[in-house]
Amino acid sequence: MQRMKKIKKYLGVLKVLIALRFHNLMVFRMDFLAPFFIDGSLFLVQLLIFQAVYANVDTVGGWGSGEMILYIGTFSLLNAVSMLVCFFGIVTIPEKIRSGEMDLYLSKPISPLFRLTFEKVNPGSGLLVIMSILIIVYGAGKTEGSFTLKRVLAYLFWVTVMQILYYEMEVIIRSVSFYVVSAARISQLEEAGLDLCMKLPGIAFYGVYKVIFYFILPYGIMATLPVQSLIGEMTPSLAAMGIGVVGAFTLLTYLLWTRGIRHYNSVQGA
Amino acid sequence: MKIIEVENVSKIYRRYKKKEGIRGSIAGLVKREYEEKAAVRNMNLEVSEGEFLGLIGPNGAGKTTLIKMLTGIIAPTSGRLEVMGYYPNDLKNAFKQQYAVVMGQKSQLFFELTANDTLRLFQKIYDIPEKEYQENKAYFTELFGVKELMDVQVRTLSLGERMKLELMVALLHNPRILFLDEPTIGLDAIASRQIRRFLKEVNTDRGTTILLTSHYMEDIKTLCSRCVVVNHGSKLYDGDTAELFDCYQKSKKLTVTFTHPVAPGWPGGQGVLLEESPFKKVLLLPREEIGKALTAFMQLEPSDIIIEEEEIGAVVERVYQEGSEDICRNTQKSQERI
Repeated sequence: MQRMKKIKKYLGVLKVLIALRFHNLMVFRMDFLAPFFIDGSLFLVQLLIFQAVYANVDTVGGWGSGEMILYIGTFSLLNAVSMLVCFFGIVTIPEKIRSGEMDLYLSKPISPLFRLTFEKVNPGSGLLVIMSILIIVYGAGKTEGSFTLKRVLAYLFWVTVMQILYYEMEVIIRSVSFYVVSAARISQLEEAGLDLCMKLPGIAFYGVYKVIFYFILPYGIMATLPVQSLIGEMTPSLAAMGIGVVGAFTLLTYLLWTRGIRHYNSVQGA
Repeated sequence: MKIIEVENVSKIYRRYKKKEGIRGSIAGLVKREYEEKAAVRNMNLEVSEGEFLGLIGPNGAGKTTLIKMLTGIIAPTSGRLEVMGYYPNDLKNAFKQQYAVVMGQKSQLFFELTANDTLRLFQKIYDIPEKEYQENKAYFTELFGVKELMDVQVRTLSLGERMKLELMVALLHNPRILFLDEPTIGLDAIASRQIRRFLKEVNTDRGTTILLTSHYMEDIKTLCSRCVVVNHGSKLYDGDTAELFDCYQKSKKLTVTFTHPVAPGWPGGQGVLLEESPFKKVLLLPREEIGKALTAFMQLEPSDIIIEEEEIGAVVERVYQEGSEDICRNTQKSQERI
């Protein structure tokens, strides 16, 4: 009963946050449309690089162009959903910590992370989500082999799980600001990791790079595992590894955030 | 009933001390020297339900830090804190549901949207039933006289109007405690007076316990029957506000202006001449000399006379210098509290 009441309250807050965000964005039309143009351009750059690579090689890590289109579409989908839902809210965390604005979030009877996650949804990124889905469908068409319902469901499951991991990485990187004054360099790590893994699937990594991009900055598995499940390359050990990594990062996110808000010192004199 | 209990609470911040120049910067890469700064030191405080308590002190005295600890925003380094039966830094929603905090320098309104939009979000955050929400909204709209501001973009409002809306947003869920950190900062005299009137009404009509920090004498004198003077993180005085000002507020500032030139100097009495021109004199006078000075100046046919209270910083400084010497014998009760 208590839990239902809590869920109802959070859904109510979510609804108002989204409505307010729409009102706000309609005041600033550029904010509404800019993400589509900017991220659309980045998306096109990725496709051009991909075309240039496949003009010279037949496979990357054993994957042909169909699988790679699937991969790029999937990574792009994870990125676009994040931008649509939470990225623009999460990215403000370091500044809110530095300026002391976090005070206003901590003193309200609702999870500050929930509010930060959903207070800057970005409908402009919805078009990117659609574009990503079209790329995935196109990639699936180009891939040899059949997609059973079981594989499609497994793919959707892994996309959901990896979306959570993607979100957790965003939160972890911003939560560092609770502990150190400047975390700008860590954000650069995120950018570099994303940039590389958007072009190269996890199967192309070996040795120490595999350890880094599977277990430390797990961008390497985010789109790789969903694609592997769709094309029939998923194995029980791979699935266990994927779930293990997501579980570990969920725990890390929880610890960093909950300890972070208790470690918060606000800004003296403000 | 005690709603706030603070026992030996301290908040220590650690800050990096860098030696001057490039050598200091390089040395700091290898080994850092830190110093500890006590923002609040061994603070003891009890507040009863329904009280209107003033916290006075200069910048950096520890007032805001204390409020942040009482609201759970930051954790104390040591000591015991209990607010409405909760340890604030546990950040329990049931606790946060029962208080509100307004910080004069931080706004919780959405600047691009209207006050009604912000109120709707707060209704959901505090889970206020629709009927209660509408009733409270109507009550505060009437009290603050902001009916015509509710559908206006917040960005376009004056500072005073914005503060009224900040208070309205904070009070919407009927909090048991309202923490106010410099709510009148930057406001003009009329807006400050209005805010004070509203706060008085909220305290008496709704029984809301209010903790107010302010730099302005007028805020504290008008609103708080009890006040606490803080400096360098320590409590210097805890007791009756009227007694405090009787004992420690020794001077008033007198500004006299003329439409015709008058001779230099001023007719008799004590005090310090702060500013002088043929058309204006500004004096700092002992309180008991004000009457005599006014009588003397009236003979010079002034065009205007302004009498101002001494700045809060001067009073705090005097409490700091003289407090321990028991200058004010009537404050025995307050000294016992400390």
